[in-house]
Amino acid sequence: MTLPAAAIDEWYPVAMAPDRPLRPDQETTLLGERVRVLLDGQEPRVEANDGRNLPVIVRHGHVWTSLGAPKHDLFAIPEGEQPGRRLVECGAIRVRCSPLRAVENFLDIAHFPFVHTDILGSEPHTEVNRYEVRIREEVDEVWATKVTFYQPQAAKSAQGGITTEYMYRVPHPTCSVLYKTCPPRPGEWDIITLFVQPLEEDLCQVWPWMALFDDQTPQADLIQFQQMIFLQDRSILENQIPRLLPLDPGMEMPTRADLTSVAYRRWLKKRGYHYGAQLVAA
Amino acid sequence: MASVCGTLEVAVWRSASGRVAAWVDRCPHRGMRLSHGFVRGEMLSCIYHGWRFDGAGRCRKIPAHPDLDPPETIRTQSLACLDAQGVIWIASEAPAVAPPDLGNVVPLRSLTFEAGIDAVAAMTGEVPDRSLLRLDAHGPVPPLVLLLQALGPGRSAVHALAAPTGTGALVAASRALEDFRRRTEAQGIAA
Amino acid sequence: MRPTLYDYVLSPSCYKARLMAALVGSELESVAVDFHPGGDHRKPEFLMLNPAGTLPVLTHGGLILTETTAMLVYLVRLAGRCEWLGGEDPASAARVQQWLAFSARLTASLGLARLHDMLGRPADIDAARWAGTLCLRELESALVENRLLGEDFLAGNAPTVADVACFPYVMLAPDGGVSLDPYPAIRAWTRRIRALPGFVEMPGIHRLHDLRPEPGEAEAAA
Ligand code: FES
Ligand SMILES: [Fe+2]
Repeated sequence: MTLPAAAIDEWYPVAMAPDRPLRPDQETTLLGERVRVLLDGQEPRVEANDGRNLPVIVRHGHVWTSLGAPKHDLFAIPEGEQPGRRLVECGAIRVRCSPLRAVENFLDIAHFPFVHTDILGSEPHTEVNRYEVRIREEVDEVWATKVTFYQPQAAKSAQGGITTEYMYRVPHPTCSVLYKTCPPRPGEWDIITLFVQPLEEDLCQVWPWMALFDDQTPQADLIQFQQMIFLQDRSILENQIPRLLPLDPGMEMPTRADLTSVAYRRWLKKRGYHYGAQLVAA
Repeated sequence: MASVCGTLEVAVWRSASGRVAAWVDRCPHRGMRLSHGFVRGEMLSCIYHGWRFDGAGRCRKIPAHPDLDPPETIRTQSLACLDAQGVIWIASEAPAVAPPDLGNVVPLRSLTFEAGIDAVAAMTGEVPDRSLLRLDAHGPVPPLVLLLQALGPGRSAVHALAAPTGTGALVAASRALEDFRRRTEAQGIAA
Repeated sequence: MRPTLYDYVLSPSCYKARLMAALVGSELESVAVDFHPGGDHRKPEFLMLNPAGTLPVLTHGGLILTETTAMLVYLVRLAGRCEWLGGEDPASAARVQQWLAFSARLTASLGLARLHDMLGRPADIDAARWAGTLCLRELESALVENRLLGEDFLAGNAPTVADVACFPYVMLAPDGGVSLDPYPAIRAWTRRIRALPGFVEMPGIHRLHDLRPEPGEAEAAA
């Protein structure tokens, strides 16, 4: 299959940034092509299958590359630079699903009581209140704001249930940034991101990354909290039919709680980003 | 539980009162397999967002909007489904004929074979060699009824029923079925 | 003083110890070890504790345990809940041991497939899945036979350490691309375990929501 330019000329995460000791070269896959990440102590390099050197950006704790020639810079997360934040890379988890389904799941709160039971949600607190969604044309990003949900244990640092406020941002077809009430620092937002590396149309690797105000919890606990949450989603993601995300309405039925997902699908379609998507209703 | 009907993937479930239903294994909301759902009373809920469906497949509750009465158009895709003689029968459309009378048998077990349904059928004539099976507790293998279900190319399910008999004989029958599976699969590898 | 578990949340072996403790009603002190992506279980400090570099490790006073099945026995005896060790007659005791040994084969097959599919560890994935399938077939047949004899669990009519040792890798087989659809007796057994008082989940094993009444409805489950 020939890949659409929208997918080729885009940045994707392929490894954690080598801030720690040297790591061996890593073979991985991007959009169905084998690539090699060289972390030999210099600046990280990425080589395509044919030996070509691919463009590289090191940002948000990860090494990003592209099979094509992106005309745009990789999105920024300005709040992530604030002093006092803990930056937490969580490593890659592989999932047998479309990269777009992985992002859509990340944007969804209605599943909390059933999939993240007694952590991010619990019955009978299942209601999704009205929130606001729009495509910010000036930056070409999807934003959902004023999202609120009752959570029994919203974060590793949370004691007991609270109503958490969220903002979701989709600055990239396979990446999303979540801004979330920060229990130890009212007025600030914790940042939790999901960076998805498309291996194939129905196979991906997610690289969760966090920038938190939390100087108490050990690093391993923070990582494991996030991995726990994501692993609860994994068995859902591997069992959605069809595997590819349907972009045309008709096949799946959204409600008001799914406004973010609806906007995300519309935005993908408008950008012509079809890698991992299904266009015609089956 | 998950099953297959022709090329359709199917979710089969039983309500608290014992009613069975078979639906296409895909939630109308976001495509989650309904066979991963949970049953409370007479309804099945999808595991992803908890949409709740009655026995007829109509959506009765969307937990994200507890006050909303879901429109009648939200429903699962139902298949014909019948519970008879301890066997659940499904069909994409209700057939004109009833399932066959199986005689005086009780369900023993279901096994999946890595072999197509024709290969399994072709092997049913073979008599197992039981010369190695010398466990006193096991009696002779009782007469079995085997129902074959195609799960896809090179895969099938065998639902075995046995004439009512002692526990030892049923255990022997279960072991004989495994032997039958091993020989059937070996045949496929040899071919 | 409570026993300390050196723990990784995604490890089914660590989960065995957490589950056992929960089922016998005791509590553990948990120390998270960054297995992935950090690889801290291979670092010198951890190897001082467990030269094999495996998780979990259970310590209590001067005692250091590195084998999961030993931890299960220890936690049961510590809580004085010896019914979890099974019957004392020769056959019952041997059946428990049989399944404890069998659980190692589950780790080597289904566990390997899961590490491959989830964390990208190298493996001959087809071989691992097929070895796992053979294990599941054995388990399914044993559970069918047990049911014919009127027994609900692996070593008799009550759950034992054998069930706790085998349950996690079986329940998480789909994580490694091995479906449980072909095994009705196994699925029924996992539901019995998930319904035990004190049962706790790990990521990848969902809450058995069936057991709770529907909010807003009178105790329909009763
Ligand atoms: S996918 Fe079934 S309720 Fe959302
Ligand atoms: Fe989730």
